[in-house]
Amino acid sequence: MEANMEERVYDLIFICRPATPEDEVNKIVTTLEHSTSEHGGKIEKTERWGTRRLAYRVAKHREGFFVYMVVKSTQGDLIKELERRLKVSDAVIKYQTIRLDEELKRQQKLGKHRERRASRRPRKQAPGAPPAPQPPQQQVPATAAE
Amino acid sequence: MSDQPAPHETPSATPSASPSPSPVHRSEGHTGGPPRRSEGHGGGGGQRREGGPGGPGGPGGGPGGPRRGGKRQYFRKKKVCRFCVEHVDFIDYKRVEMLQPFVQERGKILPRRMTGTCSRHQRWLGEAIKRARNIALLPFATEL
Repeated sequence: MEANMEERVYDLIFICRPATPEDEVNKIVTTLEHSTSEHGGKIEKTERWGTRRLAYRVAKHREGFFVYMVVKSTQGDLIKELERRLKVSDAVIKYQTIRLDEELKRQQKLGKHRERRASRRPRKQAPGAPPAPQPPQQQVPATAAE
Repeated sequence: MSDQPAPHETPSATPSASPSPSPVHRSEGHTGGPPRRSEGHGGGGGQRREGGPGGPGGPGGGPGGPRRGGKRQYFRKKKVCRFCVEHVDFIDYKRVEMLQPFVQERGKILPRRMTGTCSRHQRWLGEAIKRARNIALLPFATEL
């Protein structure tokens, strides 16, 4: 079960209460890192966005301290564990994990496709582009002739 | 928007139209008409329906006839998908400033017909907006 799962990429965002001291945020981050490494995952990056205004009230707060992480994992249990930890900690008022690897794969695929098309563009664009400007040109003489 | 001008233009143009273009209109009505006429008949209704398909179909090229007849004096600027122009392959839900123009003041997602987004990008966009909403980057609805 663990071995044959592909590596997946997740976006993890959590919001702490604005009054949370920096130390406590660091503590949460380190515990998350710890449990990630325990499950054989990897934290690609951690970004602290700082205190931001929330779009709506969460737990009676209008602001929150945002922390953003990118997690790579081959085990689904890791996400369960991370979410459990975030749920348990009092400072965290909201969190969200999103699986992104499929969308990133799609993005790469589309990018490659575009590159390939761009490499043979001289041939393909020539018939493709003119039709758009041409019809008006044809129509205008037609009206003039009538 | 597209429905309003077309019915107004058709009645005004049909009487004024010269004899030569009018058969062209009728033939078009026959080709495009049959399923529509079964819904109801009558001269006025027929004309309106003729104008209806002529309006949106105009840019296609086939119904260039109605335009020649003096209808369609204005050209609506064709909306282009903003994401297609910029070759966006992935709409990031974290970039709120990018999503903001596609959300109404009250937090509603703007429809495609307003923004001109293509269906594929609108799908991605909706997903991104919903994700941003979940993590309080965008509002579900503005609080009063």
